[in-house]
Amino acid sequence: MTDSLILGLSSGSACLATCGMVMFPYLMAGSAGVKRIAVDLSLFLATRFIIYFILATLAWYFGQAIFTNSLVRNIVPGILYIVFAVMLVWYSIGSGKKPGCPARIVTTVNNRRFVPVLLGLVNSLGFCPALFIILTKGATQGTLSQSYLAFLTFFIGSSVWFLPLPLAGKIHKREVIKNIGILATGLAGIIFMIKGLTNLIGGIVNG
Amino acid sequence: MDNSLKISGMEKSFWKSLLFSLPMILITFMFITGGRPNFSDPYEAIALLSVFLLVNILFFLMHFSGKTDRYRAVLFILFAFSLSYTLIRNMLEIRHSMSFSQADLLECKIPFCHLVIPMMILPAAFTKSIIFPGSIISGFANISSMVVLWITATIVLGRGFCSWGCFYGGWDDGFSRVRKKPVIKKINSLWKWMPFAVLLMVALSAALTMLPTYCDWLCPFKTVTEFEKVTSVESAAKAGVFLTLFGGLVVVLPVMTRKRTQCSFLCPLGAVNSLSNKITPFTVKIDKTACTQCFKCVEACPLYALTKEDVNAGKVSVFCSKCGKCVDACSKKAIHYGIKGIPAGTMKSFSRNLFLFVSFLFMAIFSSGAIISTLQNLLKLIF
Repeated sequence: MTDSLILGLSSGSACLATCGMVMFPYLMAGSAGVKRIAVDLSLFLATRFIIYFILATLAWYFGQAIFTNSLVRNIVPGILYIVFAVMLVWYSIGSGKKPGCPARIVTTVNNRRFVPVLLGLVNSLGFCPALFIILTKGATQGTLSQSYLAFLTFFIGSSVWFLPLPLAGKIHKREVIKNIGILATGLAGIIFMIKGLTNLIGGIVNG
Repeated sequence: MDNSLKISGMEKSFWKSLLFSLPMILITFMFITGGRPNFSDPYEAIALLSVFLLVNILFFLMHFSGKTDRYRAVLFILFAFSLSYTLIRNMLEIRHSMSFSQADLLECKIPFCHLVIPMMILPAAFTKSIIFPGSIISGFANISSMVVLWITATIVLGRGFCSWGCFYGGWDDGFSRVRKKPVIKKINSLWKWMPFAVLLMVALSAALTMLPTYCDWLCPFKTVTEFEKVTSVESAAKAGVFLTLFGGLVVVLPVMTRKRTQCSFLCPLGAVNSLSNKITPFTVKIDKTACTQCFKCVEACPLYALTKEDVNAGKVSVFCSKCGKCVDACSKKAIHYGIKGIPAGTMKSFSRNLFLFVSFLFMAIFSSGAIISTLQNLLKLIF
């Protein structure tokens, strides 16, 4: 499960770097202190948790239906890992135009009560390469509980970065954190690329 | 008249440098010979004497010429090549292979390397376990002696450890000097944060898996030391990663950029050492009143530690390894070794002499064993 946690940790930092500054004002604006901030943040994280729980279930059932024999179970995910890992590297450090934060859509919603829930929904369903990778992982696990565990560790890894959101205004080295987050995501991409290659070659060699 | 003045000035400088080198001569003599020189083996005697002379001539020249980096680099590069040579030779003699087996791992026979330190901290703090399969207090390169050495050197030198103590840094330092002019001149400044990203990943993954993940998967120097035996697709992938990183970051990119790219873009210990630059008393200072903003120092810096903005602001970044290249490049002596608390532009000589004595002494003592052993072995091979 380490790789899921690493993926969560690395993509979480980049996610915070791109989305944090959009989400921060909406989670915290007009708040009446720590209690309100904690409630908003808990709602946001709880929504993400539920979405990942649903995704873990769906991914595993689809995986069972698609990856029917051991050869396919090694080769297809291997290829998917490589493709998504390349996307992840490109997404993080590619020279092309980076996608904007999907949570930006939520900024048009007026009802403030739903904002944390909607933010959690959009953030967890914002289809980025890291999510594709964890979906692939969930789909190839032997049991449903293993799929849950993969998503849970991914959720924990990515959520760690949102916990200091209330202090975002006090962080002076935001640019540095953003840079490290972007590079860590790229590095996670490379790790999964190697994992994909190992799966693919292992699948071919071992039949 | 002018000539005689020049000669007498040089003579004065010669004796001054010799006097300054005396403590170094005495201390290195004690350490290199162990206080009791044994000349029964002629090869060992020649090796001891050669290294003793080399070390002290280099130190003397640093003071006499006022240049630092070129003399530092000689010993630093020799150290890196000698250590790898000694390690490989020992492994071939004992194991008949550069790869280690599962039995070597279980018996904790792997020599400890300082690059593991960032990965050891979290597991040691939470579980009181050392995640490296090496010996704690006995044998060659044991964990406790290496950790104590690193902590001491890092507190005193900060990231200076990377240019005065690291036994791998000499590899990319050496290759960065192959070409006279760089082929690749500009690299996105974002990359200099990569060691922090690597540090984040390896520290956390090591804490979770209780394995030294950097050594397992990322260390380019496995190529010139020891590595896991290739028995599966995974171990073959690891070997591929080691070779690619070594070829790319230690050989090709340093040659193309004239920079130490492995140290700048990968090493997680470099990231930790950068942070330690905040506590060390020694630093590199910029005297803004003397600076003509020619930016030769920026061009010279091998670690991307100095930018035009830093020069304009009058301070070097935390990435500085105090190698002295920028100091040597400045014709106006506007950039110089300094001590925290002493204003830039003052006590330049005192600060440089104090820093050089401490840092060079550390490198001389730390490196001499490997260089002597290599030289001794090469002499035996040749004659």
